[in-house]
Amino acid sequence: MSIVACLKWVSHPGEPHDERFAGMSPADQSALEFALRQAALLGTGVTAITVGPSGADKVLRDALACGATRAIRIEAPTTAAGTDVATAIADHIADAEWVWCGDYSLDRGAGSVPAFIAAHLGAEQALGVIHVDLEADGVRATRRLDGGRRELLGVRSPAVVSVEGATARLRRAGLQSLRTAADTVIEVVPATTPIHRAEFMVRPYRPRARELPAPAGDSPLDRLRLLTDAAAASAARGEMVTLEPADAAARIVQVLTDWGYLPHG
Amino acid sequence: MSTPDVDVVVVGAGPAGSCAAIVAARAGLSVVLLERGPFPGSKNMYGGVVYPRILDGLIPNWWEEAPIQRWVTRRSTMLLTDTQALTVDFRSEAWGQPPYNGATAFRPDWDHWLASHAEAAGAQLLTDTTVVGLLRDAGGAVTGVRTDRPDGDLTARVVIACDGVNSFLAKEAGLYEHTDAKHFTLGVKETLALPKEVIDERFAVRERHGVDIEILGGTGKVNGGGFLYTGLDTLAVGVVLKLPKLAAQQQRPEQIIAGLKQHPAIAPLVQGAELKEYSAHLIPEAGLTMMPKMTMPGMLVAGDAAALCLAAGIWLEGVNFAMASGMYAAEAAVEAVQKGDTSATGLAGYQRRLSDTFVLKDHRKLRRAPELVLSDRVQHLYPTMVANVVERMFHVDNPNPKPGVRRILDQERRKAGVRRRDLLRDGWTGFRSFG
Amino acid sequence: MIAVVAVRDGQLPSGGDETVAECGGRAVLIGSGTAAAAADLSGVAHHVTIVEMPTFQPGAWAAVLAPLLQHEPAVVLPGSPDGRDLAPRIAALLHRPLYAGALSITTDRVELTRRGGTEIHQTHPGPDFVATLQPGVRGVAVRADAAAPEITDATPTHLPRQEHRDATVLAVLPPDPATIDLAEAPRIVGGGAGLDGPARMEQLVQIGAAIGASMGATRVITDRGWVPHERQIGTTGVVVDPDLYLAFGVSGAVQHTSGLGDPAHIVSVNVDGHCPMMQLADLAIVADANETLDHLVRLLGGNTTTTDPGMA
Ligand SMILES: Cc1cc2nc3c(=O)[nH]c(=O)nc-3n(C[C@H](O)[C@H](O)[C@H](O)COP(=O)(O)OP(=O)(O)OC[C@H]3O[C@@H](n4cnc5c(N)ncnc54)[C@H](O)[C@@H]3O)c2cc1C
Ligand SMILES: Cc1cc2nc3c(=O)[nH]c(=O)nc-3n(C[C@H](O)[C@H](O)[C@H](O)COP(=O)(O)OP(=O)(O)OC[C@H]3O[C@@H](n4cnc5c(N)ncnc54)[C@H](O)[C@@H]3O)c2cc1C
Ligand SMILES: Nc1ncnc2c1ncn2[C@@H]1O[C@H](COP(=O)(O)O)[C@@H](O)[C@H]1O
Repeated sequence: MSIVACLKWVSHPGEPHDERFAGMSPADQSALEFALRQAALLGTGVTAITVGPSGADKVLRDALACGATRAIRIEAPTTAAGTDVATAIADHIADAEWVWCGDYSLDRGAGSVPAFIAAHLGAEQALGVIHVDLEADGVRATRRLDGGRRELLGVRSPAVVSVEGATARLRRAGLQSLRTAADTVIEVVPATTPIHRAEFMVRPYRPRARELPAPAGDSPLDRLRLLTDAAAASAARGEMVTLEPADAAARIVQVLTDWGYLPHG
Repeated sequence: MSTPDVDVVVVGAGPAGSCAAIVAARAGLSVVLLERGPFPGSKNMYGGVVYPRILDGLIPNWWEEAPIQRWVTRRSTMLLTDTQALTVDFRSEAWGQPPYNGATAFRPDWDHWLASHAEAAGAQLLTDTTVVGLLRDAGGAVTGVRTDRPDGDLTARVVIACDGVNSFLAKEAGLYEHTDAKHFTLGVKETLALPKEVIDERFAVRERHGVDIEILGGTGKVNGGGFLYTGLDTLAVGVVLKLPKLAAQQQRPEQIIAGLKQHPAIAPLVQGAELKEYSAHLIPEAGLTMMPKMTMPGMLVAGDAAALCLAAGIWLEGVNFAMASGMYAAEAAVEAVQKGDTSATGLAGYQRRLSDTFVLKDHRKLRRAPELVLSDRVQHLYPTMVANVVERMFHVDNPNPKPGVRRILDQERRKAGVRRRDLLRDGWTGFRSFG
Repeated sequence: MIAVVAVRDGQLPSGGDETVAECGGRAVLIGSGTAAAAADLSGVAHHVTIVEMPTFQPGAWAAVLAPLLQHEPAVVLPGSPDGRDLAPRIAALLHRPLYAGALSITTDRVELTRRGGTEIHQTHPGPDFVATLQPGVRGVAVRADAAAPEITDATPTHLPRQEHRDATVLAVLPPDPATIDLAEAPRIVGGGAGLDGPARMEQLVQIGAAIGASMGATRVITDRGWVPHERQIGTTGVVVDPDLYLAFGVSGAVQHTSGLGDPAHIVSVNVDGHCPMMQLADLAIVADANETLDHLVRLLGGNTTTTDPGMA
């Protein structure tokens, strides 16, 4: 087993509560595509692996249809903690040379599984990659840095590479391979270490109150005034209107003019 | 000739396609069911009521497992003018018990469920796969389909086209002689969310019982009709609109639904409900007038693809016609494959089954109904006339004595500008159709 | 709690100061130019340990840091690109859970942003953990005394035995020329998942041309491949600071808005009046963004003259 694609079965952002829309994220699709291209280059196959419940077989079948040669599902609930997911994957692919992941999983991930896998495998890592050049003896990967800068990395196996969505567009499965994949048996294995559910109290997002730099006024009263003015300014934000599209457009042109971004008349 | 990839390819996993696949796969044929959506039913819409009696043979005790919202135990027909409403309301406890009658259900649930039976029967379901062409031999017989996937041809002994209204396959095969905008209506619908208790109270139902309201009038100047169905914690409000009129009036369908929702008889029912979804779809309205040839060498056409939807005013039934025609098409395909004759003659069992059952019998009986119901008189003159008659009958105008009904009728008819001759003719057509 | 901040050429990463503040002023700075970076934390940090290392090597850095951190119960890194990549390596070596992308962190409560920034998942961590703090969510109040922090140098004299291999840095590239116009644009028109097709992005460009604005997008849009990655605004994309932001079908997830600077004027068009972008907007319009774009393109046409961006 030398090239692995880690694929997570995630709900569709537009239909978060309907499992039937669930599938591979754009980032994982890119990862699979690179795995397939690299396998073609090196003359080998791709193992698709997922950690999840039986519904997750869907992403494996999709991968098989696109050309993956083997599919493994490690049985686990969808709420499995990221560290356990990474351990489970790493245990099953100890001899992998190239591991392709998505940058972050759509549902609740934060891009930590790939680095954990790298740590377990003692492998190199190139994460959050936005451009990939596949070469016979390695991979050149461009990774994002702060402030729009990027870092060009030379990566050698064993390595974990995580890519952003649409870095590569996943090939469309052929009809015959789709039919074969539909009938392929998927290897289902238990996790080697216990998988914990991540337990959380969930509530809708509200921004955190931000700490403001201390006001620079001379007297306590001045400072207070500065603080309350800032509060008044932010309270003035938020005129909300419901409009028909035509009126919405007209209203936008109006405010742009009022604010001086468009000339009057 | 080389052996085909499969015995039967069914195109479209709507009600017609899944029922066809179930029947063919259960008979031991190899079946592939192709669907362009991400799963069966994902993009499919309709008003909201199914009549699944036809499934009795296919899925015994279907009511124990079918994904229904509510059983329809109340059925109302409403006649609306701008300010008046006349309702005929029927309710039956029998419809709330096995073997039931109609039910409200969501299409993504219903179609997905039916397709899972097809898979269980051994049919191979391939989603995200669109059929883009027919494969034909030198003699013109259909030998398979071309899909939008690489390496995407699939050959079959019989193709069953269940690809819905405006069927690409039937048109590609040249089975439609002429299609015309006037043969279609546009169905648009809003799904509204409302708590179950509120629905139960407003519609006077309990548990899983629900209501089906068919509406005549209420679509303003555009000829059409409306409906209002109860889901478990949703309402479906929609209108069916005649296309040429819609274009001529330059009105947007949303505006017409909005108008219906503001009608004094409807507004209290939908008040406070939150819009969840808006969708629109064509309906083959013209019935027999527009039906294509449904059989050709190597191919059968079923469901909306064959214009088998029954859209006749107070009836809007398409799913049951689709399920039945899908089953019959597959039965005929099984016969043909077993006999080794998939020519038009070999497949003739399909037409025979359609003619012998409700599928074509209902259509023949109601062949004049769509035109009648959507005619200008029925749409714009009769509702006012009838509502005014009833209003005057029940209006107490003391000290004047109550007038005779016959006289009111005659006065109102004249006031509405309806000729006695037309009224009698329409009455006769209506009586022959619905009676 | 202690902050671990990866430094490049004396520059703190986005969210570096916030992370130190979240940890009450204790920090380890690792990387190049750590002493200079420590000076920038005056008034935020009171005690800084510096570890000078030439290039970013997450495997080797984690190995150097692990012994320094093993008695620290809570270790927090900024969710900047380097922090995000380093945190799991540290957590793995210390055998601790990782809470990634937090909104707030204390020793007994961690709040994480999840599901594309629409939900907060709150948990009580065990005694020892590693977490990353989402840049831009906290803000920093610099103490008035602004005293320079006390500095301890813990740069190892020799690197630990190389168990962990790291990729080779071949080059650090400046911001992509294609992103410069976005990064420095005083006016930006942004599109999100509410838009119904790639052609909408063209409309944003057209509108941008009419009002002197650049086009940007959310991660959902770049993941769909409708516009190149360079157009992504946010913590993992381009960090911008415009005067005017017009958002069409953007929910305002924290990863997006924390890369948005502090525009003087925000207009948001969205069908959901409750989403964060609408809360942030000066003018929040509940409407279909797609149809609004159609009308806006028509209204602004191709030939509108704009005021000079500098004047607004
Ligand atoms: C507004 C409205 C209200 C209605 N109300 C009711 C009602 O209350 N009760 C009722 O019984 N009927 C109702 N109908 C009618 C009913 O929806 C249809 O008659 C019924 O859906 C027909 O089923 P079908 O299987 O023939 O076609 P469809 O349900 O249209 O299914 C066709 C399937 O084929 C797939 N497909 C299409 N083309 C291709 C292709 N090229 N390749 C692969 N797959 C393809 C589609 O994705 C779809 O899944 C209503 C219709 C409308 C529009
Ligand atoms: C580690 C990590 C890093 C990330 N980095 C970034 C980053 O740098 N930049 C970034 O942008 N994201 C980033 N994300 C993703 C981020 O969490 C959100 O998922 C993303 O910003 C959401 O984009 P959106 O607003 O386009 O989509 P959604 O959140 O899906 O929002 C779509 C919005 O459109 C509205 N809408 C729907 N239909 C219409 C309509 N017809 N008209 C008007 N409005 C409509 C909806 O109400 C909704 O508010 C990151 C995520 C993670 C985990
Ligand atoms: N349950 C899982 N099964 C397979 N791969 C996963 C799983 N969870 C995460 N991954 C991989 O790790 C990447 C980042 O996920 P996360 O760390 O959860 O944001 C994903 O894009 C996948 O490639």
